[in-house]
Amino acid sequence: MLITKLKPLNEIENYFEKKVFVFKCFGCKEVYFPEQEINNFIEERKTGILSIGEVDYLCNVDFSKVYIEKNADVIQNSDAVVVFSCGVGVQVVSKLLENEIVVPGCDTCYLNGFQGLTVLECDCNQCGECYLNYTGGICPITSCAKNLLNGPCGGAKNGKCEVNPEVDCGWIAIYERLRTIDKEQILVENKMFVRNFEKIIKGK
Amino acid sequence: MLTYFNLQKQMRETMMDYTKYRLKPKDELDDVLKEVSSLFVIWCKKCYKVFETEEFSECDNFVELISEKDKINGCLGIDFLCNRFLTEKKIQNLPENSPIGIISCGLGIQTVAKLVENKRIRVIALADSVPQSDNATSIIGYHGIALGSEKCAGCAQCYLGMTGGLCPIVDCAKSLLNGPCGGAKDSKCEVNAEKDCVWIEIFKRMEKQKRTISYPVKVRDYNKFGSSEEKKISTISFARRTESFYGGVHPSEKKELTENLPVQEFPSSKYLFVFLSQHAGYPATALVKQGNIVKYGQKIAESSGLISASVHSPVSGKVVSIEEKTHPALLRKMPAVVIENDFSDEKDEMISGCADWQSAPKEKLTELVKEKGIVGLGGAMFPTHVKFFPPKKPIDVLIVNGCECEPYLNADNRLMIEHPEEILHGIMIARKVLGVSSVVVAIEENKPDAIESMKKAIGEKQGFVLKEMKTKYPQGAEKMLIKSTLGRRVPDGGLPLDVGVVVLNVGTIFSIYRAIVQGLPLVKRMITVSGEFEKQGNLEIRIGTPFTDIFEFCKSKISENKDEYCLKMGGPMMGIMQTDFDSAVIKGTTGMILTKKPLVDCSQQNTCIKCGRCVDVCPMELYPLYYAYYGSRQMWEKCVEYGVKNCIECGCCQYVCSSKIALVDLIKQAKKNANNKT
Repeated sequence: MLITKLKPLNEIENYFEKKVFVFKCFGCKEVYFPEQEINNFIEERKTGILSIGEVDYLCNVDFSKVYIEKNADVIQNSDAVVVFSCGVGVQVVSKLLENEIVVPGCDTCYLNGFQGLTVLECDCNQCGECYLNYTGGICPITSCAKNLLNGPCGGAKNGKCEVNPEVDCGWIAIYERLRTIDKEQILVENKMFVRNFEKIIKGK
Repeated sequence: MLTYFNLQKQMRETMMDYTKYRLKPKDELDDVLKEVSSLFVIWCKKCYKVFETEEFSECDNFVELISEKDKINGCLGIDFLCNRFLTEKKIQNLPENSPIGIISCGLGIQTVAKLVENKRIRVIALADSVPQSDNATSIIGYHGIALGSEKCAGCAQCYLGMTGGLCPIVDCAKSLLNGPCGGAKDSKCEVNAEKDCVWIEIFKRMEKQKRTISYPVKVRDYNKFGSSEEKKISTISFARRTESFYGGVHPSEKKELTENLPVQEFPSSKYLFVFLSQHAGYPATALVKQGNIVKYGQKIAESSGLISASVHSPVSGKVVSIEEKTHPALLRKMPAVVIENDFSDEKDEMISGCADWQSAPKEKLTELVKEKGIVGLGGAMFPTHVKFFPPKKPIDVLIVNGCECEPYLNADNRLMIEHPEEILHGIMIARKVLGVSSVVVAIEENKPDAIESMKKAIGEKQGFVLKEMKTKYPQGAEKMLIKSTLGRRVPDGGLPLDVGVVVLNVGTIFSIYRAIVQGLPLVKRMITVSGEFEKQGNLEIRIGTPFTDIFEFCKSKISENKDEYCLKMGGPMMGIMQTDFDSAVIKGTTGMILTKKPLVDCSQQNTCIKCGRCVDVCPMELYPLYYAYYGSRQMWEKCVEYGVKNCIECGCCQYVCSSKIALVDLIKQAKKNANNKT
C-alpha cells in the first residue's frame, strides 16, 4: 500500500519560481491522497504553473504515455515537471521524459497490508519461511520490534513495547492468542527454528 | 522524446515475480498433518497478476503433495483473503472443531487467524510468502498499483528529484545515496552482475538533463519509517472504508460550484418534447393527436399497466406531432409528443388542490399520486403509487432520502434549503398513506445548510429522526441508505419493502406535496446544471425542455466542439452519457453535467491485473473483476453465478479500476443477457 504526503515546502518551493508542469495522480485517492493540501499549495503558487494534468494511475505506462503525449508542447516549454504521486508514478514519468527535470512533490510512506486492498493491521515481511503455525497466526517478525522468534525480550511494560511504547508487545499478543485456542503448549515445546536470512537475499 | 517500452510483454515476462506464496516443503507439511486429526483447507486465489486464465485449485496441488490425503475434510477458495470484511462472511460455515490450513501469503493467514480467534480454532500455515523485492507485500520494495518495473520502498523522504527519477534506494544493491560504490565492472553491479549499476544510470540521465547532483545529500532518516503519523493515516483510511457501509468511494465533490445558487425558474421553451416513457415500466399511451390544443397540466398520456405512470403537458399550446426522439435514458428512439408553446400557461381545470387531505381516505390519495404521474425523482423513475399500494408486508419506517451523494448535483440540497415546510407537508401525506409513524430524514454531512433548514422545520415533531450521514458515494442508494440508517439488510434480489421500509427522495416528496395540496401534476422539476457551462445553477425546469435550449441558456459551446466534452444526464458517476443532443428533459433528469473528456478512458483499457480495488469499493460486496473476465468472454451464466443481478450499477468499480475496464457496460450487458435466458 503506497500512501503519499506533501513534501516539506522548502524542498519543492523553488521549482515553482520557474515554469512548471504539474501532474496530480488521483489513482490511489481512495486509499489516501493529500488532495486538499496539494490544492492549497498549488493555489498559492499559480504564477509559475503552465498547466495541471489531473490524471490517475500514472504508474500504468500505457496511460502516462497518453497524458504526456497530449501535453508534449507544454512540457517541452517547462523548466521542470512536478509530479504529485507516489514514487512509482514519478519514476514512470521520468523514464518517459528522460531529458526533462522530473521532481516528486510528495514523499511516499509505507503502510501495512497489500496495496489495492484495505489497509490492514497486520503485515508480511516475506521472510520465506512462515512461522505463523507456531504463533497462533500473529507474525513475530512484523509485530515484534526486535524480530524475536523464540519469545518475548522481557522489556515490555504494561503490555507495551520498550522500543516504541505506542505499540503493543507482539509476544504478549501471541501468548494470549495461543491461550484462547488452547495451544500454549506450543511455546513450551519451542519448535522455533533459526531464521534463514539467505532466503530473502536469494529473493532479492 | 519518449522511450517506448511494452508493458504487456514486460508483465508476462515478470509473471513469476508476482507469485505471492508457494507451498511449504513436503516434509514440513507432513509433519504438520501428523499433529492434527482433520484439516479444512482455505486457499487464496492470489492477486496482482494478469487475469488471463481461470484459476486452478491451489488445494489440488497441496493434496497431491501430502501423504495423509484422507485427513482433508474440505476446501474453499477465496479471492483476496486479506480483505477482512468479505473473508469474514465467507468463512462463517466452517466445520466445527477442525483446524484450518491456509495456503496464502502471510497477510491472509494472519487475517483468518484473527477472525477465528474466538472460535478457538487453530490456524496452520501451509505456504511461505515468496521473498522478492518485487512483491507487493515486501518491505524491501513496492511496485505501484499497475504492474510495472518501477518500485518504491516508501522511505517517506523521496530522493527522486535529486537523482533524475531513478531510485537509488530500490535499484542500488547497497542502497547508497551519495554516489556509486566504485565496485561496478563494465557498468554492472558487483553484487548482482546481471543488473546495471543504477548510479551510472543516474549520472547518464543527469548529463542529458544538463544538471549535476547537489551535494551534500540529505542523510536518510530511518525513523520516518512507520512513524506514528503514518499509523494515524492508516487508521483514518481504514475507518473511511467501512463507515456507514462497506466499500464506496469519495470522488471530488464539486458541490461548491452550485450549492449557494438559489433555484431559478427556467424560461419555458417554444417547443417541448414530452416522452411517453418517463418512468420504469411500460410506456404510457398517448391521449392526444396532432393538432390537438392542450392546456398546462392536462393529461396527454395515460398509464398502461401496473408499473407505469401518466404524462402531463408542461405548457399550454398545440400538439405539433408525435415523433421519434432520442430518449436520454434509454438512448434509443422513442415516441415523444411535440408541443408548440403559446406562452399563456392556461391551466387545465383538473388542477385543483385537495387542502383537506387529512380527512381524505388513503386510497384516494394514492389514486391522486397515480393520476398526477408522480415517479421517483432520484433518477430511477419508479412510479411512486406502486410503493403506496397496500403491501402484503408490514411497513414501519419511511426514509426520506436527502443524501444526493453524486458529485456536482445540488438540486435536492437547494430544495431542502428553500422549501423545508413543503417537504415536511409532503412527508406527512406520505406517512398517512403508508400508515407509518416513524420517519427518518437522511441528509449527508456535506449539506449543513439543508440539515439546519430541515431540523428547524421538523422541530420537535414525534416520530421524526434526522440523521446526518457520512459523505460517501453511493450513500443515497436505497440499499446502502437502509443499511446505514437502520442497519437492515435488503435480501438479494429483494426490495426495501421486504425489510419494512419505503424510501422516497426529497424531490419526490416535494412533488407529492404539489400534487396533493396544489393539484399540480409532475410537469416541473429541479435540476442542477454544472461543470463546464459558463452559467451554472439550479433550475426549476419543465419536463420536455430540449437540451439545446439549456445549452443556449447556460452558454455552452458544446455543439461546436462536441468531441472535447462529455455531457451526462444525472451525476458524473451514474449519469447517462449523451451523444445525441436531439433530446429533452425527462422526469428522471437530476442534472446536466458537462465535463472535459478525460485523456484516458475505457477506450484504452488494459487487461485486469487482479489488483482487487473493485472488490474493495463495491458497496454490494460483489466481485466485479469476474464480470470483466467472464463478460469479455461472453460467459454470462458465470456472471450470474457471481451475483451480477445484485449489482446496483453505482459505477464505483469503474471509477476506481486501475485498468480502465468499462465494467458498468459489461454488467449491463450481463444483466440483459441473463434476463433473456430466463
